Amino acid sequence: MSAEFGSLTEHVVEFSRRLRARGVLCGPAETADALRALQAVNVLDREAFRLALRTTLPHRREDLAVFDALFDAYWRARTPPESDRRGEPSEPRSVAEVAAARPPSLRRLAEEAAEGQQDLPGYSPLEVLTRKDFSSFREDELDVIARLVAAIARRIATRWGRRRRRARRSHLLDMRRTLRLHLRWGGEFPELAFRRRKVRKHRVVLLCDVSGSMDVYSRFLIQFVYALQEALGRVESFVFSTSLTRVTDQLRTRSLRAALGRLSQVVPNWSGGTKIGTSLRQFLDRYGGLLDRHTVVLIVSDGWDTGEVDVLRGAMQEIRDRAARVVWLNPLLGSPGYQPLTRGMQAALPYVHVFASAHNVDSLRELEHVLGRTRERLARR
Amino acid sequence: MEMEQTKALRPTLGDVEQILATLAQEGYIADREIATAIYLSIELHKPLLVEGAAGVGKTEIAKVMARALATDLIRLQCYEGLDVNTALYEWNYQKQMLRIRLEEGSGRTPEEKEQTIFSEPFLLRRPLLQAITHPRAPVLLVDEIDRVDEEFEAFLLELLSDWQITIPEIGTIRAQHVPYVVLTSNRTRELSDALRRRCLYLWIDYPSFEKELAIVLRKVPGISRQLAEQVAAFLHAVRSLDLQKVPGVAETLDWSAALLRLHRDHLDREAVERTLGCLFKHHEDQRVARGPWLDRVLAVIADAQRDGQSLQAALDRLERLARG
Repeated sequence: MSAEFGSLTEHVVEFSRRLRARGVLCGPAETADALRALQAVNVLDREAFRLALRTTLPHRREDLAVFDALFDAYWRARTPPESDRRGEPSEPRSVAEVAAARPPSLRRLAEEAAEGQQDLPGYSPLEVLTRKDFSSFREDELDVIARLVAAIARRIATRWGRRRRRARRSHLLDMRRTLRLHLRWGGEFPELAFRRRKVRKHRVVLLCDVSGSMDVYSRFLIQFVYALQEALGRVESFVFSTSLTRVTDQLRTRSLRAALGRLSQVVPNWSGGTKIGTSLRQFLDRYGGLLDRHTVVLIVSDGWDTGEVDVLRGAMQEIRDRAARVVWLNPLLGSPGYQPLTRGMQAALPYVHVFASAHNVDSLRELEHVLGRTRERLARR
Repeated sequence: MEMEQTKALRPTLGDVEQILATLAQEGYIADREIATAIYLSIELHKPLLVEGAAGVGKTEIAKVMARALATDLIRLQCYEGLDVNTALYEWNYQKQMLRIRLEEGSGRTPEEKEQTIFSEPFLLRRPLLQAITHPRAPVLLVDEIDRVDEEFEAFLLELLSDWQITIPEIGTIRAQHVPYVVLTSNRTRELSDALRRRCLYLWIDYPSFEKELAIVLRKVPGISRQLAEQVAAFLHAVRSLDLQKVPGVAETLDWSAALLRLHRDHLDREAVERTLGCLFKHHEDQRVARGPWLDRVLAVIADAQRDGQSLQAALDRLERLARG
């Protein structure tokens, strides 16, 4: 019996590992919490046991479903505490006792936890994934990579935040320093101290081609730019194929993943053919007011336009004239030997400030520099 | 050692069953999941991150927790642009100015004056400093943490692990009693993994039919069981619709009260149309609710109740109605 209970700790450890392998954010620190939690509840009550693990191991809503599925599979196969209790001493040893009797493993866990908060073994294949083209991901890799994209975006946002702090121009009264100065001079020479002012945030307009093969890239880009919006300021998003749809509100009000899934049902012609020129013209006619000298326009498309080239050229010129910066992201640029020779791409290129690829995680990191430079340039105006 | 002492001083709520009872006593209808999360948060000494849609009772958890522990609730309401000065402490400038005026001609050196006006009596304690210096462990509610920027989130993370604050003019202040912390998020922004991992996690969904029924019966005095069941079933159907703004429990209660005020003992099209504003806060949503969908839902609910069968079967049909 004690052997069986003794192995509970190991099973919890193993269970956590499996959660981690399925992408759940959960390391040794969580495992240690789970074991502490099990000491505090009645583990013979299966529901209490389940809830204790469920509260301590996962940290995200998405992970709860993974947890539920794995819990049933893992713990059904093992001793459900109540069913295996026949013929045992009437006073069962509590897990607390057992856990207390096995300090080495707990201590080891705590040490592991202290050493490597970041060190989640399940995430190591990411090195390979960062160079892989988005379109070649398998279904099960998409989730992991989506999280990575969000993590990179968050790091970038934090870095930009620090930069903002050092900004020199300032218009806010700094009462604390003013008072000190006041004190120094005995109130004779009123002098005002200022502190930095928050840099005005810029607007980003994201225009994503969701026709055919562009679909998968656009999903990542939307995700990336959304994770960045803290630092970028206001983001307005549109998707287009043969016509244009504004999706800003849909993306804001729901969880991004769910929103993207729903969008493909709502948006007409998602993954159909492309009329880039017509779509951009539609954007200018209906939402042209969004463009001013603080706006960065990000267009994500491979440039395969099936419409009139002149329409595209005209629209691009107008966008360039009215916006601060036009960035065109073409994932094909990542393929070796690619030349931007399509008629649409040829027509658009003269009006583009930055032409870059965005086909894998590494190129998103480069995009950081592009966006960052643009931000700083605009901040100085 | 220090940790042990702090812990001994913290009153706890007993086990999960006791928490359930306490919560019920305080008027909060909770399930075991919520009770377990609260219990473990106290037992393990860890902050509790509560996520869920607006109006499912996230903030209530902290309020009830404070009432049940008979301690104070200190609330930090987050918003975009919240900075450390507003959340932690600020100097009382008016008071400092007055002191400077009063001390004119006192002959004290500027250094002495400076020391006086940058001391504790001139400090305005904002919620986080209050929580740390409270004479007994309070419940600290950090509401809508998803609204602050990344920098503030990082600062908060640091505070949650060290429980100390450094004020340049005074020095470092350590928490006397580590507060119970509840963080809520509406998920308008993804929180950092580091912050998540610092916390226990609780997701609160919209209530089940049974839970919502219990809430309505408890919180709307004078409502008949029949009407309460219809209301809960109706909300169940509403939440499977594709809406701009899904009504939460607060809306359910408003609506029930409105129906009572109109002396209704059952739902019909006229009653629903007159009170639509309580549930649906978007024009587009009201349009959807007014459509033929409404008649079908009311028919299913009425049928189920007339035949005396449990509403559960009807609920599944309602869900299918919304999808189809």
